[in-house]
Amino acid sequence: MTANEFIKKVFFIEILKGLALTLRHFFTPSVTRQYPTEKREPFPGSRGLHALVRDPETGREKCVGCGLCAAMCPSQCIHIYTSEDDDHKKVVDRYEVEVLRCVYCAFCVEACPYGAIVLTDHFEYSGYSREELYYTKDRLLHNWDKYMANSKGREYLEKFWRPKSEDFGVPAAGHHQAEGKKAT
Amino acid sequence: MENISGKEVDAADSDARLSEKELTLSMGPQHPATHGVLRLVLDLSGETIVKCTPYVGYLHRGVEKLAENRNYMQIIPLTDRLDYIASMANNIGYCVAVEKLFGIKVPERTEYIRTIVGEMARITNHLLWLATHALDIGAMTVFLYCFREREKILDLFERLCGARLTVSYPRIGGLKNDVDDQWLEDLYKFTEEFPGRVEQYETLIDKNRIWLRRTKGVGVISAEDAINWGLSGPALRGSGVSYDIRKISSYGVYDKVKWQVCIGKNGDIYDRYRVRMDEFRESNSIIRQCIEKIPKGPIMADAPKFTLPAKDKVLSDMEHLIHHFVLITKGPQTAPEGELYVATEVPKGELGFFFVSDGTGRPYRMRIRSPSFVHISALPAICEGELVADVIANIGSIDIVLGECDR
Ligand code: SF4
Ligand code: SF4
Repeated sequence: MTANEFIKKVFFIEILKGLALTLRHFFTPSVTRQYPTEKREPFPGSRGLHALVRDPETGREKCVGCGLCAAMCPSQCIHIYTSEDDDHKKVVDRYEVEVLRCVYCAFCVEACPYGAIVLTDHFEYSGYSREELYYTKDRLLHNWDKYMANSKGREYLEKFWRPKSEDFGVPAAGHHQAEGKKAT
Repeated sequence: MENISGKEVDAADSDARLSEKELTLSMGPQHPATHGVLRLVLDLSGETIVKCTPYVGYLHRGVEKLAENRNYMQIIPLTDRLDYIASMANNIGYCVAVEKLFGIKVPERTEYIRTIVGEMARITNHLLWLATHALDIGAMTVFLYCFREREKILDLFERLCGARLTVSYPRIGGLKNDVDDQWLEDLYKFTEEFPGRVEQYETLIDKNRIWLRRTKGVGVISAEDAINWGLSGPALRGSGVSYDIRKISSYGVYDKVKWQVCIGKNGDIYDRYRVRMDEFRESNSIIRQCIEKIPKGPIMADAPKFTLPAKDKVLSDMEHLIHHFVLITKGPQTAPEGELYVATEVPKGELGFFFVSDGTGRPYRMRIRSPSFVHISALPAICEGELVADVIANIGSIDIVLGECDR
């Protein structure tokens, strides 16, 4: 053992260095947040509670009841019941999401060809019974009004309803030139 | 010599009775230091472990069986829940394997992004590993510091794909969505400060005499044993075997950036810890190089039979719409038949997916080779003959997660 090592050993140099580091941290700003009182805004596109898109023209759900979201859902927690109305149009009678079984993969959003279902960034919900966390069509539409109001819903679909043509590096259907340049 | 009731007993007699029987100690499944629901039955002679028997399966959710009833796309969220500490790496491993089965070539930008997020997953995994391992051995501060950095990466994950842990970000033939420049910039900023943070952890424990006493020369695995037991990842490299699937396989852009395989020498807990600390720096530098080099371009492969069609075309083009319906309800209909095993290097070691495909949209059989399962099988050999106090350090050093082991 050299003298240097001996001194290090006797005077607990490495431990003192560690303590100096922790002492320095006393005086740096805290990085923790007091959660229930201090909240962080979730980032856009954060995957939380579902919402059914309300069509601004009809005021009803945009969903047509094709059932693709239910087929894609890996935990099979979407239940859709449809019927036919007087002019032989399909109507969605019930659209229900068992939130307790959902894994928040957002595959339902991806599967929907109409952009009729989204995941909002609302994540703080709880209930005392299973029924409270069984979201019916009306509640899901209400979620849209509450959490995706104004342009938020549109922005979400623009950004997170994928894949789009530009992801494949080809111009989007319709307006080719401008979009095509941007993509490549 | 007196016993409790104050009666005289013969010392020799008492010694004989004391050493009569080994003590059987059941550790877990609910034990904070077993990193999940692992149960170990330890036969102790004094403080020495005579026999160690691990019992696994408490977290069995039947992922492999579930996969037989899901189409190839729907399995991605299942793979999140294997190694939930670094779910991004599992997703990538799965997608790489399926792409190989289908013969898809993903665009270059996707390869770069996958490499970046894969290395981020490695950093989060090693941060959590260091945090809990240090906590097991008794260093609380490291735990808090590691979580500070881990939080930053998780925030970046959330910004990227909307979830922090169960990301489901890669897709077969591409990615969920593209990254934006702001995100890359913020990640770059993180990589600038991260090596300084690694130094902080080292200040706390690298030379700390308690840490050294607990880790140096403890849980030694010789290179030969490590290979024979099938260890992989840092647990293998700590023994001095230079084996890293990122170097020998062709996924990601690992051949386009400069990095080296980190290896240890003695195969003890300390060397495995050093390997992971070095991997922090290597991963960090891989991310930086990738951000500097990332090209612009598409993120989805041109493989219309296997990837969902573009949303803006689905409602305007009949062919795309039909294709969209078939892919979602039945899965890809042109999967080649046959068997295939593809391994990737996840933070814990070699994660392999083995498929038996019968040409339908679902795998006929999917088998997962998880590093944790193999590592646990080596645990008895590492622990036997050592002290009971080192069991916890040994479990920590091979880095297991039970979600992946029990599947
Ligand atoms: S987020 Fe995933 S699990 Fe939840 S309803 Fe949608 S598809 Fe199903
Ligand atoms: S939400 Fe979309 S995918 Fe689901 S039934 Fe309605 S239209 Fe079809």
